[in-house]
Amino acid sequence: MNIPSRTEAQQRADDIRVFRQELERLEREGVLALTEAQRSAVADHHSGLLAQYAQSFDIDSDVRAKQLSLGMRIASFLGALALAASVFFLFYQFWGRFSETAQVAILLGAALGTFAATVWIQGRDASGYFTKLAAMVAFACFVIDIAMLGQIFNITPSDKALLPWAALALLLAYTCDLRLLLAVGLLCLIGFVAARAGTWGGLYWLDFGERPENFFPAAAALFFVPQLIGHRHFAGFAATYRVFGLLSLFLPILVLAHWGRGSYLELDPDVLEGFYQLLGFVGSAAAIWFGARRCWPEVVNSGVAFFVIFLYTKFFDWWWAIMPKYLFFLVLGLTAILLLVALRRLRAAGYRLPGGAS
Amino acid sequence: MMTWSRARTFVAGAALILAANAVALVGVAYNRSGEADSLLRLTQRELQLPYGWGLEGESSGFVLTLRWRVPVEESADARVPAMPYQGGAPAWLDKGKLTALGFDVSWPEGTDRGRMHYGKQLARETLLVLELDGPACQQALERARRHVASEEALQAANPGSKEFERRAEGARRGLVQEERVSSRLFLIDAGLDAAALRAKYPDRARYAIVRGQVRPWVIGDKTKSRLSGRVTLSANRINVPHAFRPVFEPLLHGLRRGRPEAEPPFEVAVAFGQRLEPWITAASGKTAAKTDN
Repeated sequence: MNIPSRTEAQQRADDIRVFRQELERLEREGVLALTEAQRSAVADHHSGLLAQYAQSFDIDSDVRAKQLSLGMRIASFLGALALAASVFFLFYQFWGRFSETAQVAILLGAALGTFAATVWIQGRDASGYFTKLAAMVAFACFVIDIAMLGQIFNITPSDKALLPWAALALLLAYTCDLRLLLAVGLLCLIGFVAARAGTWGGLYWLDFGERPENFFPAAAALFFVPQLIGHRHFAGFAATYRVFGLLSLFLPILVLAHWGRGSYLELDPDVLEGFYQLLGFVGSAAAIWFGARRCWPEVVNSGVAFFVIFLYTKFFDWWWAIMPKYLFFLVLGLTAILLLVALRRLRAAGYRLPGGAS
Repeated sequence: MMTWSRARTFVAGAALILAANAVALVGVAYNRSGEADSLLRLTQRELQLPYGWGLEGESSGFVLTLRWRVPVEESADARVPAMPYQGGAPAWLDKGKLTALGFDVSWPEGTDRGRMHYGKQLARETLLVLELDGPACQQALERARRHVASEEALQAANPGSKEFERRAEGARRGLVQEERVSSRLFLIDAGLDAAALRAKYPDRARYAIVRGQVRPWVIGDKTKSRLSGRVTLSANRINVPHAFRPVFEPLLHGLRRGRPEAEPPFEVAVAFGQRLEPWITAASGKTAAKTDN
């Protein structure tokens, strides 16, 4: 049996647990009765699979273990952030006491050493939590390495530094199956593409955030990457690409919907804000429809979240100052109910579609 | 998960880390190779010691910040003190210069449409020329002297007037500041071609060409407006190498913040290399012997 990732092993283990519960119910209700031989064969097969997964991936074998593993995920994330900050401040506090040669050697040694440690830990950590922690520290050490070289030698800041950072984050993400590092790598890539889009227009690269439209090329690229490159063996990676693609699209639209002066277009700011508000509503509604059609729950959820944000910010603009507060919040509540009804109808329509979202 | 062996993963990651470091260090070596593009001898007037506030307080490194100024127009009100360190709109950064730097200046700046057009323009990378203790500095000094003469004449014409006495005293303090405290480093020109700028300013001990950004800026209101620009320097902060720590460590003890005239004197030779990035080649302070790298 070839199980390519820990996530898929966990999914299969969850399916087995649900299957066992449902089989028990069906037998109790007299709908299905397996022979002793069949029952034994299924039980042996499942036990073998679970034992193999537990040995290879340290999966959660029951609901309690699953709850604990959520806590472990949070702890490993916070621990990774804290350790990365600790490494930064450790170097920052003592770097001035070393010669430039020693500073470069320490920075390079820390980046290489933590990366080697991550690869070593990955081979011994079936749970993946310690690998994630080590990978974040390795990435932080590499970022500190390049950033401090810039400070030590007064190098002119450049967006090109984002490329090796993105490359290392993606290498760690794909070899260690870490979505957190994938997200970090995608953020670096989004920053690089947006900065390049700005410099192609003749702007200084660090000003790329002042023209939110610079993020649109990155949004389009990220959304369609999973369509071009298969991510079958990387559970959740395709969804992460799509979510970051949508964030790179809708967050700039949200900013432009309230700050028309930030646009490249030399039109009346009020007209531009109206245009981007409309684009926000149409775009988020299209994301809900497209996500439901393609069975991409993360796209539907992102679309719904941004549709609600666009709607509520518009309500705030229109009515917060002129309405009594009880009426304003009543309108918000009624809108939420209306949205629920609309989504329910969409869900019902999805059932009727061949292969539709359910 | 990618089905790479651990050895292959390590080799790929290590190659990436080494390559990124190598690119950065080769760039540094290239910047410092051959004769420096310029070499300025700056003092505490042009370089600010670290404040040690916020995150800087956590750092054991020393970073000096360049203090530079822009020449003001001759017609500017002399009672308004010239910025002693940084900022302001350079008088020479006009429509013609902005056009040469690649900005579209076809709209009249006094109209709503023009103000919107220039307000939307963002910074562009440019090369900037810094002049040390040159004609721009002399011009600022002359301006301060003329201001003292004019205020003292008014004081003489209005004997006993407290107001004119106070104004004359302020003008004299301004002159002392201009003579002993204010930065002598002036931003005097901008361009896109380093060779052309160097041909125009050949003295490498007085003129440094550095990288920076210029952003158009409409000064004034609708009735009276002028198109100029705001300037920022890319490498505004210069790291102090470990070898020069003994020069600056004694200076930081007993430093009285907010009293620029009481800052301890020091002199630093700052070179700007092939990539126009700065580094310190020599430093000396009052309390330490001169050190050369």
